[in-house]
Amino acid sequence: MLELCSVSKLYAGIPAVDDVSFCARAGEVTGYLGPNGSGKSTTMKMITGLIDSTSGQIFFNGRPIHDDLIAYKRRMGYVPEEPYLYNHLSAVEYLTMVAQLRDLPAKESSACIDGMLRIFGLYDDRHASISGYSKGMRQKVLISAALLHNPDLVLLDEPFSGLDVGSALILRSLIQELAARGKVVLFSSHELDTVERVCSRIVILHRSKLVADDSIENLRTLMALPTLEAIFSQLAVEQDTDSMARDIADLIHA
Amino acid sequence: MPDLVDPLLRRLPLQFRVLCRQFLLRVIDLEALSVKADVTAFLGQFSGILIMFSLILSARAVMSSPTETGETLFFLTTLVVGLITVVTWDSTFPDRRDILVLAPLPVKPRTILAAKITASSAVIALAVLALNALPSLAVCVSLGPGYGILRSFAAFWIANLALVLFLYASVLTLQGFAALLLPRRIFLRLSALLQILAFAYFLCSFFMLPAIPVIVMALPIAHNLVAFTPTFWFYALCLQLNGVLPTSLTWLATRAEIAVALSTAGAVTSLLLCYLHTLRKTIEEPDLVPAARGSHRTLRFGSTLQTAVLLFSLRALTRSRQHRLAFALYLSIVCAIAIGTIKFGIMVPAPHPLTQDFLLNTILMMSFAVIGLRSVFSLPISLNANWVLRITQLRPTPDYTAATRTCLLLLAVAPVLVATAILSSTFRPLHEVAAHLLILLLIGCLLAELSLIGFYKVPFTCSYLPGKSNVQFVFWGFLILFIPLAMKVVSLEIRSLKSPLQCLCVTGLLLATLAALRAFNQHQAKSAAIHFEELPVEVITTLNLSVK
Repeated sequence: MLELCSVSKLYAGIPAVDDVSFCARAGEVTGYLGPNGSGKSTTMKMITGLIDSTSGQIFFNGRPIHDDLIAYKRRMGYVPEEPYLYNHLSAVEYLTMVAQLRDLPAKESSACIDGMLRIFGLYDDRHASISGYSKGMRQKVLISAALLHNPDLVLLDEPFSGLDVGSALILRSLIQELAARGKVVLFSSHELDTVERVCSRIVILHRSKLVADDSIENLRTLMALPTLEAIFSQLAVEQDTDSMARDIADLIHA
Repeated sequence: MPDLVDPLLRRLPLQFRVLCRQFLLRVIDLEALSVKADVTAFLGQFSGILIMFSLILSARAVMSSPTETGETLFFLTTLVVGLITVVTWDSTFPDRRDILVLAPLPVKPRTILAAKITASSAVIALAVLALNALPSLAVCVSLGPGYGILRSFAAFWIANLALVLFLYASVLTLQGFAALLLPRRIFLRLSALLQILAFAYFLCSFFMLPAIPVIVMALPIAHNLVAFTPTFWFYALCLQLNGVLPTSLTWLATRAEIAVALSTAGAVTSLLLCYLHTLRKTIEEPDLVPAARGSHRTLRFGSTLQTAVLLFSLRALTRSRQHRLAFALYLSIVCAIAIGTIKFGIMVPAPHPLTQDFLLNTILMMSFAVIGLRSVFSLPISLNANWVLRITQLRPTPDYTAATRTCLLLLAVAPVLVATAILSSTFRPLHEVAAHLLILLLIGCLLAELSLIGFYKVPFTCSYLPGKSNVQFVFWGFLILFIPLAMKVVSLEIRSLKSPLQCLCVTGLLLATLAALRAFNQHQAKSAAIHFEELPVEVITTLNLSVK
C-alpha cells in the first residue's frame, strides 16, 4: 500500500502541495485528478523520490520510502507527464539501458523488450532514433520502460497522452490487469471518462489541497451527481467555461 | 563606431536582422565555450586568441622574416577558416528545425537562406580580420618601400580573401550538392563523416605541410606538393599581384583564379538549388524511416551499470553533433601532435632511439585526450530525460564513479595507447618502448583519476553552468603551466628509461600515486550523491545567525 501522510511541498514559501494525505491500495487503481497547476505532478515526483517533500511522509508497505530509497525504486515503475527521452538513442537502446541500470538479466530483459515493442507496434522502428518518434511512440517507450522490471507500484502521470485509440484501449485494460494482479496503481489523468472506467477510487486535488478521496460510487451518492465530470466540475472548476470561451473570442475580435 | 553602424544596420529588413541574430547565436555552441554564453563574449574571446597570434606573427615579421611570415599567414588563414567552416558545418544551410519553425511564418525562404549565410560568414570575417589585420601591415611595412607598401598590402588582402572565399565556397558546394543528390538520411550520415574528414584535411594541411621559400616552390621536387595544395596557389597569387612571382610559377596563380571561379560558381549553384529544391526536400522527408538493421545484443564492459554508462557515453559522443565537435576539438590537437610525430618518423631513418620530443608528444596526446573527454562529459545531452537515471539510481555513487572511469579508460586512454604503440614501431630498443608504454598507461590512468576528483556525475547528464570555462584562461594557462611541467616529466622519464632500476622506481611511484588517488576517489564517492544539476555559487552568503 502507498500512503501519503500530511505531505506538503513549498516553493519559495508557496505551497505546490498542501497537507495531502491519501492511500493507494494494492489491487486497486487510484485515480489522481486535479486542474492544471493543482500539484498532481509535484505529488507524483515526491512519490517517485525525484523531489523531497517539505513536510509529511510517504510510506510504501508501511515503511517510509526514504528509509531505503534504492529498494523502493527497485519496486516502482513510473511514466512521467512529459515524454522526455534521450533522443540520441533508439527505442531498443533506451530500453536496454534502462534494463541494465536496473540490473535485469540480459536474456530475460531482451525478450521482454522485444515483446513490449511488438505489442506496442514499435518493433519495426526499434532501431530508429527516438528523435523521430511521435509523442504517442515516445509514450509507448516510457510505458515499456516503466513496466520492464515488473514493479509492485505503478505510477502513471498522464499515460494516455498522445496514444492512438488502439494503444489507449490496450493501456486501459493493462492498468486494470496490473491492479487485478495485486499491483498498487496510481493513475493521474485529465481524461475523466477513462478515469471513471478504470479507477475504483479517486483523489481530487484543487489549489494544492485535497478536496475528495473516495470511491466514485460514494462520491456520486454523496454529491448527488451523475458523472465524474459533474463531480470534478463542482469540486475543482471555478470558472464559467462558456463565458471564458466568449471572452477569448472577443479578445481576438473573432 | 556604433553610431555609424547602427543606422546602416537599421536599413536592413527587420526579418533579416532578427534571423541573422538568431542564426549567429547558433553558429557555434556558445554554452560550451563562452563566458556567460553570450555571443559577444565568445566572439571577443575567440578574437582575443587570434589577435594574440597576430601580435606574435607581427613581431616575427618586423624582427626577422617578413616573407616567411606572409606565407605562414596564408597557412594559418587556411587552418582557421577551415576549422570554422567545419565547426559551423551544420549551420550553413537551414536545417529541419529552422524550416519547421519558420515555415508557418510569413518569411521568404530567400530571407532565411541569406540570414544563414550572413551569420556563418560573419564569424569567418571576424576571424580573418583578427588574424591578419596587424601582421599583414607588419609584413608589408617590413618588406620595405622597394615592394610598394600599398601594393603589397592590397595584393595580400586580395589573395587572402580569395583563399577565404575558395574555402567557404568549396564547403558550401560540397554540402549543397550532397544534400541535393543524396537521400536525407544518408546525407546526414555522410555529412558527419565529411565534417570529420574536412577537419582532418585542414589540420594536416597546416601541420604536415612546410612553408617553403619561393625558390624551392619552383623546384621539380616540390611540384606535387605545391600543385595539390590550394594554400600555395593563393600565396602564388599574392606574389603575382605583388609582381614578384617567378614566371615558372604563374600556373599556380592561374590555378588559384580557376579554383575561386569554380568554387564560387558551385556555391551559387548549390545555394540556388537549396532555395529551389533542398528546402522543400528537407520538410517533405518523413520523420521516421523504419530501420531494419541494428543489433539487440550489446557487449559487456564490466558490470551492467558500467556497460550502460559506457554505451550511453559512446552513443552521445558519436551521435550528438555538439558533443562530437567538442571532442573533435581536443582530438584534433591529439591528431596534430600525432601527425607531427609521424613527420619526424618519416624524416629520420628507422630505427631510431626514443627522443624527448616523442615522449613529450605522446604525453601531450594522452593529456589532451583525457582532459578533452572529461570536459565533454560535462556537457549535458538532454537534461529533461535525466529523470530516468534518477529513478533507476539503484547503486551507490562509487559504482557510478567506476563506470565513468571505465569510459575514460576505454574511450581516451586505450586509443592513445594503441596510437602510441603504432607510432613507436620505428623506435628502438624495444624494452624502452615497452617501458614508455607502461609509463604512459599509468600517466593516462592518473589523469583519469585526477579528472574524477569531485566528478560525481553520469557523463553527459549534469546541467552545465555557462561561463565556467574561460577559453583564453585555459589556453594560456595550458601553454604557461602544463607544457613546462610535461617537459620536466619527460626529462625525468628519458633518464629513467636508461636504467632498469630507475625505471622500476618511476613505475612504482606512479603506481603508488595511482592507488592513493583511486582510494581517495572511492572514499570521497562513498559519501557523495550523484549530481544532476550544477548549482550556481551563492551570491548571498548566509551567516546562519539566529536569535534564540
